[in-house]
Amino acid sequence: MRPLLVVGGRELAARLRDGTALLIALIAPIVLATMFGFALGGDDDPPLRATIGIVDHDGGEFPASVRREALNAEELRGVLTFKSYVDDTAARAAIDSGEAGAAIVFPAGFSASVGAGDGGEVTVLESADTPLAGVIARSMVDRISALVDARTLAVRASLRAGVPPEDVKLFVEENGAAGPSLELASDPVSGGAVDLAVYYGSGMAVMFAFFVVGLSARGLLTERQLGTLARMRAAPIPAWTAVAGKGAVGFLLALVSMCATWLSSELIFGASWGPPLGVLALILAHVFAATMIVMLVASGARTDAQADGYTLGVAFVFAFLGGSLVPVYNLPDFLQTVSLATPNGWVSAGLTELAAGGGLADVALPVAVVAGIGVVAGVLAVLRFRKGMLA
Amino acid sequence: MKPALVCTDLVKRYGDRTVVDRVGFHIDEGEAYGLLGPNGAGKTTTISMLVGLLRPDGGTVTVGGVDVAADPIAAKRLIGYVPQDIALYPELTARENLRFFGRLYALPRRELAARIGEVLELVGLADRADDRVETYSGGMKRRTNIAVALLHRPRLLILDEPTVGVDPQSRVAILDNVERLVAEGMSLLYTSHYMEEVERVCTRVGIIDRGRLMADGSKRELVAELGGSDRVELVVDGDVEATAEKLRAVEGVSEAVVTGTSSVRLLATGGRHLLPTLIAAASGTAAVTGVEVVEPDLEAAFLHLTGSTLRD
Repeated sequence: MRPLLVVGGRELAARLRDGTALLIALIAPIVLATMFGFALGGDDDPPLRATIGIVDHDGGEFPASVRREALNAEELRGVLTFKSYVDDTAARAAIDSGEAGAAIVFPAGFSASVGAGDGGEVTVLESADTPLAGVIARSMVDRISALVDARTLAVRASLRAGVPPEDVKLFVEENGAAGPSLELASDPVSGGAVDLAVYYGSGMAVMFAFFVVGLSARGLLTERQLGTLARMRAAPIPAWTAVAGKGAVGFLLALVSMCATWLSSELIFGASWGPPLGVLALILAHVFAATMIVMLVASGARTDAQADGYTLGVAFVFAFLGGSLVPVYNLPDFLQTVSLATPNGWVSAGLTELAAGGGLADVALPVAVVAGIGVVAGVLAVLRFRKGMLA
Repeated sequence: MKPALVCTDLVKRYGDRTVVDRVGFHIDEGEAYGLLGPNGAGKTTTISMLVGLLRPDGGTVTVGGVDVAADPIAAKRLIGYVPQDIALYPELTARENLRFFGRLYALPRRELAARIGEVLELVGLADRADDRVETYSGGMKRRTNIAVALLHRPRLLILDEPTVGVDPQSRVAILDNVERLVAEGMSLLYTSHYMEEVERVCTRVGIIDRGRLMADGSKRELVAELGGSDRVELVVDGDVEATAEKLRAVEGVSEAVVTGTSSVRLLATGGRHLLPTLIAAASGTAAVTGVEVVEPDLEAAFLHLTGSTLRD
């Protein structure tokens, strides 16, 4: 333990002496989180008062039912307003003028086509200026598509089973596919409930955790180039002391960095990240995972510049895929799935849970997954260090 | 008393390349042993295995009777290792560097402070101890590099090319210090490609080339292997390669190598009497402009054993 403290103390002193700890761990994430918060956060979040236009060329029961169900959805109460437009052009003009955030277009004969088991397609009109209204509209359309598919399947099955075409609608509804119903408790929509000041604040904290640990990884490679790593390894201390000492300091500085960004976000914007215990659990898990991932990256680097480059690459790719830079719900579906391969994605999901009123128990899964990612990366890092730098 | 160091059949391979091939030698307590070989001969790789920085692919190392593989921490306590390159924190002072590394050797705080003062005196840096290492000359850095290895009073001091790149004054100071430490009873492993350093400091020498220990013994024993051969240094004006080739064919010449753009080194029996024949043999490809016949020495022994020079 004593050698670990000696090496850790030296690493901490080096980071404080050259000023990188202060800059990367505190100033940069707090300043960026604050700037993002002021630019994109606050009380004017578009998703919380989204207006969705409806262009009903159908006039049947399906569009009416969708409106009714969406307005009754618990998650959207007080948030969603529908406005009717006569055609696509009028809806597009309304979106362009900011009157509506997005619009759903039901084609003529949609209800009849679905009722007959022939399926149907609705389209969404969106604007880059109101991305979250678009998210809600697309989420609704996803649900509509699922219902249409189910209904189509049921009708076709019934027809094949010999139900006469004129009776099939009644038959299907009596047997469980009783018209459209929407349940909009989907992740993207509830994601809109997170204040963007919190979203970007946590995103910056999560991304900078990698950079902060990266300083220690760089330090390790610098020591290797200086020859001091070999000198440490020739000392009567356990072989892993140098790596562990550096990693421990990276972990602690990243923890301080994330907590400071969290605190600053709450103090500056008055926006809560959620119950402190849940937030702390997510932060601890993420800092652990980031430390192990960066150490894994460092284990393959030959120079400090290479370690820097690798860390930068991993941090930005994970930040993008994991929703630290761009909200996950703005990503294409397959990238939303990919985001769950990153600790960033799970931390974002965990914070969303907390923002939706969840507690420590509700983030158990994200915490476990992020910690698991850390364990896997840690094991791989150990194996790689044993074959390389510590061979 | 147990030997300070025993290594047996050390092997290190990188892929198909064997860089250390069954190297074995021992150093008695208080003995100064020199490992002599050209750059790339495998000296540093061998040392890295001795101090526990590299895992050997074969062979064993014991330091003071402690097996390095079985108990590396106990073995490392007995070793003072001075790496070939300066291994110091440039932004720290010499005293801060010494304090950090001293703590890794678990020296108690008060004892460490006193010991730092002693080793700084020993290497002649007491008056610059609180200056940053980055402001030091190459020689001062080298001396600090050595001071770090002396802090914990090791039984075996391992110096890997400790005078590379230093000014003549610092070189003398380093060699003086090393001799003093050996005189006080410290065991020493000294590697160098400078023949005169090894001759001055060490009582026993191992000659290593291309990863193999070619010979091992006292200077007298190694030179005796030459028989009656002398070392003949020729300065020539002309085609030096062709001249060396021609001289190699002269009867009585056992080795002939080019040592510079206009110099050839020979091992020759009865070198003094052979000179007219050598000069005649060289004619046609070069003119001999200088001759020196040297009594058998380590340089000649090295040439005899390896067929090459201690190239820089």
